[in-house]
Amino acid sequence: MKRIIIDREKCDGCLNCNVACISAHEEGSNFYTVNLGSVDSETRNFIKFDAKTGYTPIFCRHCDEPECVLSCMSGAMEKDPVTGHVKYDESKCAACYMCVMNCPFGVLKPDNKTRTKVIKCDFCEEKQDGPSCVKACPKQAIEVKEVSR
Amino acid sequence: MKIVIIGASAAGISAAKTIKVAEPDTQIVVISKEDSIHSRCMLHKYLGHERDAKGISFVHENFFAENNITWLKNTTVVDLDTDKKFVRTNDNQAIYFDKLLIATGASYFIPPIPGLREAKNVYGFRDLKDAQLLDSECKTAKNAVVIGAGLVGMDAAVALLERGLKVSVIEMMNGIMGLQLDEKSAEAYQQLFEEHGAEFLLSDKVTSVDIDEAGKGRTIHLASGKSVCADVIVIAAGVRPSFDFVEKSGIATKNAILVGDDLQTNIKGIYAAGDVIGISGIWPNAMKQGKIAAINMLGEKLRYEDRYALKNTTNFYGLATLSLGNINPKLKESFDVLIREDRNNYQKVVMKNGIILGVIMQGNINSTGFWQYLIKNKIDVSGIDKDVFDLSYADFYKVDSISGEYLYAI
Ligand SMILES: Cc1cc2nc3c(=O)[nH]c(=O)nc-3n(C[C@H](O)[C@H](O)[C@H](O)COP(=O)(O)OP(=O)(O)OC[C@H]3O[C@@H](n4cnc5c(N)ncnc54)[C@H](O)[C@@H]3O)c2cc1C
Repeated sequence: MKRIIIDREKCDGCLNCNVACISAHEEGSNFYTVNLGSVDSETRNFIKFDAKTGYTPIFCRHCDEPECVLSCMSGAMEKDPVTGHVKYDESKCAACYMCVMNCPFGVLKPDNKTRTKVIKCDFCEEKQDGPSCVKACPKQAIEVKEVSR
Repeated sequence: MKIVIIGASAAGISAAKTIKVAEPDTQIVVISKEDSIHSRCMLHKYLGHERDAKGISFVHENFFAENNITWLKNTTVVDLDTDKKFVRTNDNQAIYFDKLLIATGASYFIPPIPGLREAKNVYGFRDLKDAQLLDSECKTAKNAVVIGAGLVGMDAAVALLERGLKVSVIEMMNGIMGLQLDEKSAEAYQQLFEEHGAEFLLSDKVTSVDIDEAGKGRTIHLASGKSVCADVIVIAAGVRPSFDFVEKSGIATKNAILVGDDLQTNIKGIYAAGDVIGISGIWPNAMKQGKIAAINMLGEKLRYEDRYALKNTTNFYGLATLSLGNINPKLKESFDVLIREDRNNYQKVVMKNGIILGVIMQGNINSTGFWQYLIKNKIDVSGIDKDVFDLSYADFYKVDSISGEYLYAI
């Protein structure tokens, strides 16, 4: 399967990945028009920063053993047997947030606006040329690679 | 090989899925006394008319056909013969197996309070059938009484309020959801429920129920001397593992079906998973147990190790809460109890000697998944020089260089 491989040392915290993610999930928007202040603007990836550890990219791993899928009681989270990616179906989700609780890496969160769904990386599956965050990273700190599972 | 699974809920379905992925040629028969697959955690959405029966299913519509699994619905297992290896059903079929998974969950319990068991308008809130019966009562009833303010009781209450009933909730503890919340976080929910019309009778207990000529419980008497009127009563005072049919089978039980770390019972080839084994009563654990039992039935030797079950998320009226572990320590003095609050958030961390024992995050629960990992693995955070509330997975970041998956640096 394809996974976004992270090299923490290369990340310099520019947050282009955040902007690209928000823009990719906002219809008709691009890097220049994306409205970062809107409550609809949600990034699915995060960069944590502190003085000691520097910048830490927190990106959904689409885990081999996804805890979010195992904790989902509505069938909204599913691991795609073909791509290996963990897909989220908003229409099935009942917003119980057990996936938020069970993701050991704290990647998942409720949406800010309605608190009725979960914000989750979809690997930009609808885009021909792969995840938008990866394309936007000027440092190649994140790259798509084929990994065995 | 032929595997029979009794129960078509979290544990049973997760086992069936696992087997079909690992060894698609295995013959699987799933037996359930219910005639639909549904998630109990969404029953309130059904009763509240937010979703129909199909909308609370947690599998694809054609799950059984797509996976080539035989499903005997509306079929109750009444007996188990462990020597000849078959189960007998209510319609007197003998279903033979090579390996068996018991995933029959739990059923609600009506306490022996005078009038309560006899009353015809008393319902549990466990199966879709319960919600359907309540649904038809809701068409005429005006006053609903919910006994028990745990998670199930509050799920029922939210749906009944949604349907426009006047809802009174009776609870023995002095706050709602007493196992998951502390005083402050419980009050926030209580207030929201009250704003939506609920009335709470806390630190009180049902002593008897008066029954009218039609056999319905009408007046509920409480230990405090108060009484409440009811057209319909929901009992949410706890559940018991269901395993009647193993009584004469030789399977070891003690209020639950007993299993080893491999989730096998004392009888070789017979496994049990989910609420019926009595070590947790929550969905994620039932799913994981089903998965592990399934893998072991296929000949592996996996152990059920991730037993942590003191975990919960709540989301009522848009207020979300994560609660983990021991959040109400008895001897407060011997713990560090840290609290951080603002207008929209209440956060509490209970720790001792650098080990986190309990967490409440109410309001913003963004990216809080790592807390469970810290608690269940007893990770010492005293060496991390920052405010405990500012911890995140970044403090434990580590990547597996081959798979790219995250690990914990500890
Ligand atoms: C209202 C409500 C809300 C809940 N909310 C949450 C929540 O938010 N988060 C959470 O983690 N957990 C929640 N739970 C708990 C969760 O639903 C259970 O932990 C979970 O359903 C357990 O799954 P199980 O597969 O072990 O058994 P069950 O779900 O109890 O299913 C048992 C299965 O066995 C079948 N069965 C039983 N006896 C027989 C028999 N003799 N013959 C044939 N078939 C039989 C039944 O038909 C059913 O298919 C909630 C429960 C309720 C009732």
